[in-house]
Amino acid sequence: MKRSDNLTGAEAMSRDVIASSGGLSARGNLDAPSGGLASRREFMQGVGVTLTVGATGVIGACSMPSGDSGDTGAPEPGMAANDAVTPNAWVSIGADDVITIQFGATEMGQGSMTSVPLVLAEEMDADWERVRVETVSRHDSTYGNPMAFGYYGFPIMYTAGSAALRGYFNAMRQAGAQARKFLLDAAAEQLGVPVEELSTEPSRVVHAASGESLSYGQIAAAAAIPENLPEVPESEYKPRSEYRYLGTDVPRIDVPAKVDGSAEFGIDVQIPDMVYASVLRTPVEGEEPVEVNDSAARAIPGVTDVITLPYGVAVVGETVEGTIWGKNALQVTWSESSRFRDVDQARDLDEYEARALDLSFSTGNPLWQEVGDIEPAFESADRTIEAVYRSDPAYHAQMEPMNATASVSADGRSAEIWVSTQTQSLTAMAAADLLGTDVDRITVHAKYIGGGYGRRAEYRQKDVEDALNLSRALGRPVKVIWSREDDVRDGVFRPLAAQYLRAALDADGSITALQQRVATPSVLSYMNEPRWALSRNRDGISMNGAQVTRYAIPNIRAEHVMVDRCSRLAAWRGVATSYTRFANESFIDEIAHTLGANPLELRLDLTRDNPPGRSVLEEVARMAEWSRPREGTSLGVALSDYGGASVAAGIAEVSVNEDTGVITVHRYWMAIDAGFIVSPRNTEAQMEGNIVYGISSALKERISVNAGSVDQSNFHDYPVMRMNEMPELHVRALPSDGPPSGVGELGLATTGPAIANAVFAATGVRLRELPMTPERVLAAMRV
Amino acid sequence: MATFTLNGDSVTVEAEPDAPLLWVVREHLGLTGTKFGCGIGQCGACTVHVDGASTYACLTPVSVVEGRQVTTIEGLSEDGAHPLQQAWIAEEVPQCGYCQPGQIMRAADLLANNPQPSRDEIVAHMSTNICRCGTYTRIVSAIERAAQEAGNEA
Repeated sequence: MKRSDNLTGAEAMSRDVIASSGGLSARGNLDAPSGGLASRREFMQGVGVTLTVGATGVIGACSMPSGDSGDTGAPEPGMAANDAVTPNAWVSIGADDVITIQFGATEMGQGSMTSVPLVLAEEMDADWERVRVETVSRHDSTYGNPMAFGYYGFPIMYTAGSAALRGYFNAMRQAGAQARKFLLDAAAEQLGVPVEELSTEPSRVVHAASGESLSYGQIAAAAAIPENLPEVPESEYKPRSEYRYLGTDVPRIDVPAKVDGSAEFGIDVQIPDMVYASVLRTPVEGEEPVEVNDSAARAIPGVTDVITLPYGVAVVGETVEGTIWGKNALQVTWSESSRFRDVDQARDLDEYEARALDLSFSTGNPLWQEVGDIEPAFESADRTIEAVYRSDPAYHAQMEPMNATASVSADGRSAEIWVSTQTQSLTAMAAADLLGTDVDRITVHAKYIGGGYGRRAEYRQKDVEDALNLSRALGRPVKVIWSREDDVRDGVFRPLAAQYLRAALDADGSITALQQRVATPSVLSYMNEPRWALSRNRDGISMNGAQVTRYAIPNIRAEHVMVDRCSRLAAWRGVATSYTRFANESFIDEIAHTLGANPLELRLDLTRDNPPGRSVLEEVARMAEWSRPREGTSLGVALSDYGGASVAAGIAEVSVNEDTGVITVHRYWMAIDAGFIVSPRNTEAQMEGNIVYGISSALKERISVNAGSVDQSNFHDYPVMRMNEMPELHVRALPSDGPPSGVGELGLATTGPAIANAVFAATGVRLRELPMTPERVLAAMRV
Repeated sequence: MATFTLNGDSVTVEAEPDAPLLWVVREHLGLTGTKFGCGIGQCGACTVHVDGASTYACLTPVSVVEGRQVTTIEGLSEDGAHPLQQAWIAEEVPQCGYCQPGQIMRAADLLANNPQPSRDEIVAHMSTNICRCGTYTRIVSAIERAAQEAGNEA
């Protein structure tokens, strides 16, 4: 049983290190004293401290998710962030051969905490069994994802868009190659032999001619360290044929702690002297408490305080249950002034549809995609076809409800935050905004995430704001836990959308033009205002997937008709692709049926100039035996790329109960090309997860907002897929030479259109609205 | 005040009789492997054993377990050695991992009463527990693996 002081093993260990090392950080070089980058010597001296950590027995590619290095409180003022990418900031080598790798992303089940450091270890030729991974616990551009660069002018730590492995791949290779080169050069000097005669084995430099060898730890302990290590040219990177780890099933380092209960998620944090809080939030966005009667709440055992916030009323106490009971006992009158009280989702969706259909209407933002010129093609078309697709908001339903723990300093100018976040950087930046302080004074202990899917990537995370506001008010650490009902009713959702699609066909049956008008709000402007300010009115969070990049269609136009939002918004798994691809991949099927073509054959023809797209279609058709006649079931196919380079094809086998309207998915096949597959088994897990998440949302999941309130509240009225609804899954990643291109959201968007296309094949009825609930199926069949 | 046996040890906690067992084991006693998911018995993340039977800790007032045996994920085995935990690692079941302690406790109850369940029996028993990451096929594989390995040893 954990001790009452509630230190985790890792934290306790790190504190021992601090105690024995005269206050040096266990991270060594990372807390540079001032002016940025630590010198190599400071770096390596610092490393000596890390040895002690390793010596406590935490080895074997273990994880330290909190990134806690024992430093309690925010970094020292004046500690500049390093804007340059400094590869040696990534790795430290202990005299006992324990190698510590810094992890700049966060782990939410996608496996990056293993796959990203593994790339560094591979290039360094480190012994993975003696590697320790630490999650970085503050905003520091040094550890930012190089792909999360353009919006801010500097890289941020932001785990989203399936970009962790993709974005860090080259940085990890450089950091590993540089470390290996340093070790080789130092070993040459120590052994007195030419460096050309040396080679490496895991964590060891070998001189084959003499039979002598030195471990990495021995070399590092004795090495003279140059001030600046040179870049290693890519031509000197390890060839794939020599990989020991990448491309094999290296076990994920986070798994053992996730089967014995010891993995520490944000909600599991316990800090000495902390109190709990539950917040009764405004029922309608933008309102405020006017009158609070808290006498019943204050009478509840364990309740110590009731604090009115701008957006709600917090009940604080010594126990979680006391604060929940206290919250339930509050009587609050709200301002009832919000414009969202006028929201009627069905009416709003009709308005979105009218906007989408009105070709003369534009909200003036730049076209999402324009290829060629669609107008002449439509004017000279032999035939045109058109359709409207609609989709309801969807909820992330991550299993860990929102929660955060914060400790604000007495002067209110620095803070320590413990939270499951997809972005240490944005969490720290927004906290600094809230406290009116510098980002370097915010420590973010990024814990294991109990489901992200975009829910924990906002700029202003309201659970963190709760904890900061309350800790500042109370002068002690506060842990805020949202109920599931809070999590749904105060949720941030995939947006409501209506889309109009039309295509021009020539006399030969070729598609000469395709237009997709997506009437949906701007998600980015809600979820991340600073990034929106830099995005030139292009909203990739709302529009991702509305582009056509795999098909040979000469004239394409995709437009964002940017309408008013009727709910709170966020990126969702697959970002916008679950509705944009539902529309354009259902529409390709409608075109195929108009032309009397086989939907697979049409797609194969359209991907004639796109070998990866064509390959995944061919492979998934082979896997599913597309041409084999079925008894009582039908197939539908869809293609969807994600993030530019990754592409997936999916086939659904369904049956439809025409009496009840229930769609059953019996089997699902998916083939992907996602570049080089670093972790095959984990990639398959991600594919399975995307299929499950996709089917669940396509068939069942629906948020509705009326009069400003979310109608759903928990899993009984927002049901998600359970084991008894699972189809058989068959997945395959094709071998590919490209760099790793991301699998965390890939293929999710094939599920909706593949199912709708299969339902059409089964019944002749076209479903154009997500989710495809039994009521909607029955209604469509009656038309 | 409530006294019960938790993972083999007698514990006494200062808690209101209505306090959910979930918060008592997690926050009063610091055993945070048992997770809060929904609070209404819909997701199974809080599954523990009370006298060997899987139980939603979120719906169980601590007064109900007075004098009874409660087992959480931390007490399922010494050092994660339970056959299901080993099978969970072998099949690399967890993704985010948040629901997995509840899944494992639910599965342990199944195998204790039905050491060689059919696939249909596994699915029927486990459908109480939600995994949003979609690890269901691997959960089935891990339960089958654990059952098979137990059968081989018998």
